[in-house]
Amino acid sequence: MKSAPCNKRPGMQLALTHTLTLHSTSNMVSLARTVRNMRRVGLKEWWRQLQYIGDAKSGKLMGADQFGNRYFENLNPEEEIPGRHRWVDFAQHDYNATQVPAEWHAWLSHIRKDPPPEDRVMQNLSPPWKAPWSENLTGTRGAYKSYNTTTPKFTAWQPKVISRGGSSA
Amino acid sequence: MTIIRPLLGSGSSSLLLVSRAANAGSSAVFARRMISSTTARSMATPEPSKGSETYQTPDYLRPPPTPRSPPLSIHLESDIDPYHGGPSAIEKAANLFFFTEIVRGMWIVMEQFFRPPYTIMYPFEKGPLSPRFRGEHALRRYPSGEERCIACKLCEAICPAQAITIESEARLDGSRRTTRYDIDMTKCIYCGFCQEACPVDAIVETQNQEFSTETREELLYNKEKLLANGDRAEAEIAANLHADHVYR
Repeated sequence: MKSAPCNKRPGMQLALTHTLTLHSTSNMVSLARTVRNMRRVGLKEWWRQLQYIGDAKSGKLMGADQFGNRYFENLNPEEEIPGRHRWVDFAQHDYNATQVPAEWHAWLSHIRKDPPPEDRVMQNLSPPWKAPWSENLTGTRGAYKSYNTTTPKFTAWQPKVISRGGSSA
Repeated sequence: MTIIRPLLGSGSSSLLLVSRAANAGSSAVFARRMISSTTARSMATPEPSKGSETYQTPDYLRPPPTPRSPPLSIHLESDIDPYHGGPSAIEKAANLFFFTEIVRGMWIVMEQFFRPPYTIMYPFEKGPLSPRFRGEHALRRYPSGEERCIACKLCEAICPAQAITIESEARLDGSRRTTRYDIDMTKCIYCGFCQEACPVDAIVETQNQEFSTETREELLYNKEKLLANGDRAEAEIAANLHADHVYR
């Protein structure tokens, strides 16, 4: 295959063998992965994961937000499928995707590379008047209800009554 | 019916089988494989041509071969073998009666059974989003806290769904500000024209996509709601604009 007539062939073969080896290494058994992650995080944490995320995962704790949600990351592609390498452990039992504040949402959605405690751009750009995060309150008494922000264009007629003449008449 | 089909076909192809066995007797019957039972890799990488040192024109640059009619002197019975190069009837029957396709399919299922799941567990894990993702709207403020919108109504003009309603008045200090900035999120088609039209980067579409509501009227956003959206997500919005500013 030296001085190949078609230049694309060696590259294609290389790419194919690369995918094949990657495929064979990531072809790990789910049971072994579960046991390994269970041994790493401990029985209590594993039981909690089983109640919520439904899978045994182990990774590096990247931080926690003001609500107590913990954020994890495992960048090893042989331990976590790429795309499942960032996850959140919600603090509340009644968990909800909107309980993640905006800064961590950007990290969890893979928009930002670094988590907010290490992201200088995110820290420098957060203003002092930043409002506290609130989750989606629909279905509760705190739900947003639309209202008019302008003064009404017309009002009901209020009759102005001039008092009758004096009592002397 | 699928079992009967080769039996029906065997009547007409028995002559061909005999002729093939006569002229290609040395080739093993099971040497060739069907396309369905060939590994994908051997189909993806064609065999390199041996001893071709000179440059050959790639296939897509060659002119198409001119179609030729078969010579008139051909003898149809002996010269043309329509099944040349294909699997023999015995191969087809073996694949059919030994359920090879079904076994291969079940093998793939068993392989997947022992692999970790690819499912992204949604509220805990999320798929990737772009910094240009267009989600829920927000009105931004300047770093000083002054609201950015100057009520130029360009977003209202460009909105294809006519979801934006703006009314404005002069404030006490003389600057023009909106008194009404309503977005009907049930009309909005999330095209992003409003944030492209905005000269002061006031109206943006944030990366929040989890704003579903139980009632319809909760989606009729007014100015206070939009400003509140911007106030709580300003760090993320500004970081996204910073990440994308080289392309704008």
